[in-house]
Amino acid sequence: MSPGPLLFGAALGQLAGMIVSRRAPRFWLPATLASAVAALGAALFVLGGGAEWQWRSDFAIAGDSLHLRLDGLSAFFLVLVAVVVGAGAVYSREYWTDAAHPRSATAGRFWWSVLALSLGVVLVSSNGLHFLIGWELFTLAAFFLITLDRQRGEVRAAGWLYLGASHVGTLALFAFFTGIAARTGGWDLGPMRGHAELAPLFWLALFGFGLKSGMFPLHIWLPSAHANAPSHVSAILSGVTIKIGIYGLVRFTGWLPVPAAAGWTIAAAGVVSAVLGVAFALGQHNLKRLLAYHSVENIGIILIGVGFGVVAVAHGSDAASWGRLALAGALLHVWNHGLFKSLLFLGAGSVLHATGTREMSRLGGLWRAMPWTATLFALGAVAISGLPPLNGFVSEWLVYLGLFDAALTRGAAAWAVVPAAILLGVTGALALACFAKVCGVVFLGAPRSEAAARAHESGPAMRGSMLVLAAACVAIGLAPVMFWPAVARAIGAWEPAWVDATPPDSLAVLGWAHLVLAALALAGALVLWRRAHRVTAPRALTWDCGYAAPTARMQYTAGSFAGIVTEWFDWILRPVRHAERPEVPFPEHAGWTSHTPETVLEHIVHPVGGVVMQISAATRRLQHGRLAAYLFYLLVGVAALGTIVVIDVSQ
Amino acid sequence: MNSNVNLLVGLAIGLNLLALGSSRLPSVIGAVAVQGMAIGLMPLLLESDFNWIVALVAVGTMAVKGFVIPVLLRRAMRTANIEREVDPSIGFVPSLLLGAGGTIAAVALARALPLLPEHAGSLLVPGSFASVLTGFVLLIGRSKAIAQVCGYLILENGIYLFGLLLIRTTPLLVEAGILLDLTVGVFVIGIIVDRIQRAFDSLDTSKLTVLRE
Repeated sequence: MSPGPLLFGAALGQLAGMIVSRRAPRFWLPATLASAVAALGAALFVLGGGAEWQWRSDFAIAGDSLHLRLDGLSAFFLVLVAVVVGAGAVYSREYWTDAAHPRSATAGRFWWSVLALSLGVVLVSSNGLHFLIGWELFTLAAFFLITLDRQRGEVRAAGWLYLGASHVGTLALFAFFTGIAARTGGWDLGPMRGHAELAPLFWLALFGFGLKSGMFPLHIWLPSAHANAPSHVSAILSGVTIKIGIYGLVRFTGWLPVPAAAGWTIAAAGVVSAVLGVAFALGQHNLKRLLAYHSVENIGIILIGVGFGVVAVAHGSDAASWGRLALAGALLHVWNHGLFKSLLFLGAGSVLHATGTREMSRLGGLWRAMPWTATLFALGAVAISGLPPLNGFVSEWLVYLGLFDAALTRGAAAWAVVPAAILLGVTGALALACFAKVCGVVFLGAPRSEAAARAHESGPAMRGSMLVLAAACVAIGLAPVMFWPAVARAIGAWEPAWVDATPPDSLAVLGWAHLVLAALALAGALVLWRRAHRVTAPRALTWDCGYAAPTARMQYTAGSFAGIVTEWFDWILRPVRHAERPEVPFPEHAGWTSHTPETVLEHIVHPVGGVVMQISAATRRLQHGRLAAYLFYLLVGVAALGTIVVIDVSQ
Repeated sequence: MNSNVNLLVGLAIGLNLLALGSSRLPSVIGAVAVQGMAIGLMPLLLESDFNWIVALVAVGTMAVKGFVIPVLLRRAMRTANIEREVDPSIGFVPSLLLGAGGTIAAVALARALPLLPEHAGSLLVPGSFASVLTGFVLLIGRSKAIAQVCGYLILENGIYLFGLLLIRTTPLLVEAGILLDLTVGVFVIGIIVDRIQRAFDSLDTSKLTVLRE
């Protein structure tokens, strides 16, 4: 058996999805799901120990013959693509229906299929040209998905920012792949660590793939794009497409030689992304924007693992044990973040669907109206905060293990991992604070607006897809050993010397500890629930210090809950606060607003862009239509060329 | 023979300066006509043995540059009813100074160039550079379309002078083709000048800036 026919079937399924998306929408979901199952089957076949699959075509597409390859690493990422594409497709049938969105539902289905197909193309193509074609196609498909709701101005602005930023990254990748092609004489890709002259190209790859993955400070496009896209699109953008940036980075640090500073740079970028990502998340009041900043944070955690993996390769065989652990943590976190971030975005979409707002200050008290969504969102929150017994803890634990083992060795790495581990711990604590804020403000307390009070639970399709993702989170948390072979297979594709199919002992111990913890927690919850229902406790207002007229606005808001922590990060967050204090005994007006802008975008990119635009506008004055002056330009140009030639000849 | 050629090139350079310094359009057209005839004569002087085709082209050049084009230009001038360049963007004295300076620079440049020994003593190269420069000064510095056409013709004369260096290798068909292009170009411009004059009541090309994008 070979994964080839399965992959072919998966591609065919997505093509069928594109065709039926307009005329026969009821066949779209079966086609997409069948395709996802086929892709999942192919990927699991390779991850389960099957042979790596390679195929070259006899015919040429765009001037080069196709070269497809499904190895451990591609298969590892393909699993995530298949799961989230399937879950998101089911979700979208209820979330973005033809009835509610007659103008964009068809386009949503069509571009979803294009996105899924082009993601697959990027993952399996082993040819620079076809990789770039797939990359551009998936960028465009994501643009059209982000701007589905393009009647809103902020959606259009987010779409443009995404498109512009993505193309800057694509430009770097064009230079990267043409650089490889120019030095090796062909577009074909594969392991070529022997070509030492390819090492400087790493920086181009870091920029291009780093921008796509949302690494700080290249993340400027990410918050607005992920916050303004429809929620199932946010889920796949945040859960999958930014991981394709990680895939590129991992793929090409594995295949190509890297400069000496590569690992350190990736790890440093990871630490910065992790800490600042969560700091920015704490400052947000928009539920989806907050989740988007958590993507920056989690990409940081992944990059820390990848970075120290690259460092370990440079350290030789002594470092194999800790390098393997760090990289395993990073790769497992790719899956985990893909799963729980999709779950959280789908949960946020469910809230948005029910209340029509994503402003946390207008929500509150949703746990009663939406118990399924609230429970599943809380589960995702526990997972993303890196708390046991869920999957987020497993992957972060592996990264920690790698860092701790490295700290016990000799050399530069031993010193560098200590601050990295500490900052990783800080990140985890801040993430926990942030999700305590989200769950508390959105689901607990009293409803802050009419819309929140009239919220309703979402239907079976939305709940079902969230349940699948949540189940996957729980499974990885409770039985991490079962997933180790897949991770080991991906690591083997990256660095063949590190293949080790036996899971580390600590992982098995962790799995048992998680099982015990989960059993205890379930038992405790059951006892508490039974006790709460046996004794019918009287219901009354919380004691309010004797104040006679409490309102729902007298609760902790998203801003006040995180106030102290965001003040620590004032130097980078630069929040805009506007206070109108009550001054006189009977004040008529008083108010307080705070807003955390995207600092890098507003304080660096916008000013620099403004200068560039001014210079460009100044050069436009040369274009005034007076023929005589144009002839003068010509004369100056010819004279300058002549001077250059004369100087060159005389030398 | 070389001294005869040099004499004609010297005449052409002098006519350059006349075209630069004159404000009356008829005298500029006259200078261009005489210059055209002078350089049209040169192939006959450069070729040592008589050749029918060369003679034919030389006569054709002289006829077109000396008579046909000036007639077309004069007719355009009459229909447009202008005789003078009134408001040049580079004045007449500065134009003259630029032309004189350019001629000196052209001589200096020709010395610096690695020329073949048989061309070293000739004024062909400096004369060609000086004419190209003069043409540019007229094109840039004059606002009336007819004066600009004269600048263009002087520029073309400069290029033609440079082409004479290669007279043994350039097919004369190419020269004949250039001549035809030039005639058609001037013919078309003669019509356009009339149209511009009727449509805008002015021949000032510096006002024609609306269609720049």
